[in-house]
Amino acid sequence: MPMTIISDMASDSKPRFTRTAFRRGFLEALPFILSNGIAGMVMGVAYRSIGLGFIPSALFSVVVYSGTAQAVTLGMWASAPPVIPMVLACIATNARYLLIGAHLHQLFGKLRKRIMLPALFLLADASWLMTTADAKRHGPDAGYLLGASVPMAIGWMGGTALGYGMPVSMDGPLAVAAALLPAIFVASLLPIQWHGRRSILPWGLSAAVAVLVSWLIAPSWAMLVGGAIGTAASMARGDDV
Amino acid sequence: MSDWRILAAIAALGLVSYALRAGGFLAAGLMRESGVVARFFRLAPGNLFVAFVAAACFEGSWPSVIGCIAAVVVMWLTHKEWAAFTAGFSAAALAAAILVK
Repeated sequence: MPMTIISDMASDSKPRFTRTAFRRGFLEALPFILSNGIAGMVMGVAYRSIGLGFIPSALFSVVVYSGTAQAVTLGMWASAPPVIPMVLACIATNARYLLIGAHLHQLFGKLRKRIMLPALFLLADASWLMTTADAKRHGPDAGYLLGASVPMAIGWMGGTALGYGMPVSMDGPLAVAAALLPAIFVASLLPIQWHGRRSILPWGLSAAVAVLVSWLIAPSWAMLVGGAIGTAASMARGDDV
Repeated sequence: MSDWRILAAIAALGLVSYALRAGGFLAAGLMRESGVVARFFRLAPGNLFVAFVAAACFEGSWPSVIGCIAAVVVMWLTHKEWAAFTAGFSAAALAAAILVK
């Protein structure tokens, strides 16, 4: 069955890209400058704490632009960063964008690719959700997607730069806590992923295997192997979300 | 590690991130909602996050465990990421001040 996530759009469902929708999306997403800004500042502080320079830190948030992938790869960072595990982790944590992109194709598949492909660079979970809701009310308009994405990107990228430059001395306990920021960042995402009692078994397996891999093999592979085993258990049981 | 290698690693991660964002749009006709790959992608994030946090807690000892628990609890109660980060960071720093000599 092809991807069919929504079907109840506004009556005029021909996709467009308008300034009006861009403005509407931008204004509705303005609060994200603050919330993404604070999260970005955390990332900036964490980048500085591992000794990354300002330019690479800012580039990370501009080019990768994914809190989850950045937190996870930051947690794997070492004097010789394991690039292949980091790329695999980035694919695994951001694979949801494949599904999001497939859904957006239902809304905007008839628009020219030269309009959509640049706009997708700033795609975020929240801007996708907002665009889905807006399409139901006003019909699909990619201007809204881009407009809603811009404040989120400004907050994240600007927050990283500001956080890096914050006059906070990272010594003693603060340095210990700063080194733990990637784990704290990812831990804060767990309640969103919790699906009740059916999460207990796969999560328990994921955690147990991750600890074993970290102990016996290498920490950089713990997430991938543990997560894959837990996901396989979910699939074998017939779970879906 | 030299600067160019750091920049190359960032470029590789950036390329992968954009490929995933654009790839789903471009390959929409090929992906099936009930297919094994799509199901894996839907189910994977929570398991990956738990595995990452578990390994980090194992490596980072008590400050890591306490910081992560604080972040989860505050996120659960408030649904606000900034509050969860702040609580997690503060709890980890406090635990490090008390427990790490």
